[in-house]
Amino acid sequence: MSAIISTNTFWTLWLFAHLICALGLLGAVTHQAMAVALPVRKPAAGIVARFRAVPAAGYATAVCALYVIVFLIGSFIYTQYRIAIRIPLEAEHYYKTGGFFDFKEHMAAIGLVLLPAYWYFWKNAQSPEYDNARKGVTLVLAVIVWFLFIVGHVLNNSRGFAS
Amino acid sequence: MSTTTTVSTTMQPTSSLARSPKFKAFAITFSISGPVIYCLVQYFNYPLVTYWPAIGRLVWGLEAARPNSGPNMLWYGWTLTTIIIAGALGIIAMLVPERITKKIPLWLVWLFPILVVPYVVYSLMYWWRLAARQ
Repeated sequence: MSAIISTNTFWTLWLFAHLICALGLLGAVTHQAMAVALPVRKPAAGIVARFRAVPAAGYATAVCALYVIVFLIGSFIYTQYRIAIRIPLEAEHYYKTGGFFDFKEHMAAIGLVLLPAYWYFWKNAQSPEYDNARKGVTLVLAVIVWFLFIVGHVLNNSRGFAS
Repeated sequence: MSTTTTVSTTMQPTSSLARSPKFKAFAITFSISGPVIYCLVQYFNYPLVTYWPAIGRLVWGLEAARPNSGPNMLWYGWTLTTIIIAGALGIIAMLVPERITKKIPLWLVWLFPILVVPYVVYSLMYWWRLAARQ
């Protein structure tokens, strides 16, 4: 690989792919969360109402697929983080940053195991018995995804690849 | 152009998986037990594998720190152990009669991920102590 692109470029490209997929996931799950938390009951006027008025059930499979893709890419670049990022972070006493990254890894795994129930609830969106559970799990998943995104973003600002 | 809401009340599940009571039992059991199992696996430290990124070494189970090998990574192992145990519980739930699995409270799916957060924060005490010493 080093003959084609440098090691830093290689990992930065994977980090970029992780970011792009995470942005898609963030958008989709935020639409859904808004749709279940503040459903639009009448024809939507204005950008906020239209943001809430998406056909949210159609996002479920995409959210699951994007979550798994982001998770797998993140798992791959995590190996490089452990050596090239975390060790210097500890050496420079960025303990809170390191702690929040470990918090992120745990929440990512917890979010992953929610996906089967989340998908099932959304695929049965016509059943009122799942309404509360669907709302709850969607909001929890949205909070997890936002948390993962913000921590990853701050960490990249602290010490991204090639820094 | 105007748009209207969100969750269609007339849409039927198109996937046979989404209509299957057995998949429902699996999915709900997997997602309810997953967060709790993950915390237990991490607390008792039962990774399925240990990875050493500096030397590219992957071994079964837990392998403690070794000289000249760099840091070890347990998170992959914890996640895999969790998926296997939660998956096994989900398969067991598929074999249980539907009249029993229907009684599983669905709100546990979103409650447990919230309840485990204090434990997760506590488990990272190593970092918070170091940060507090600064």
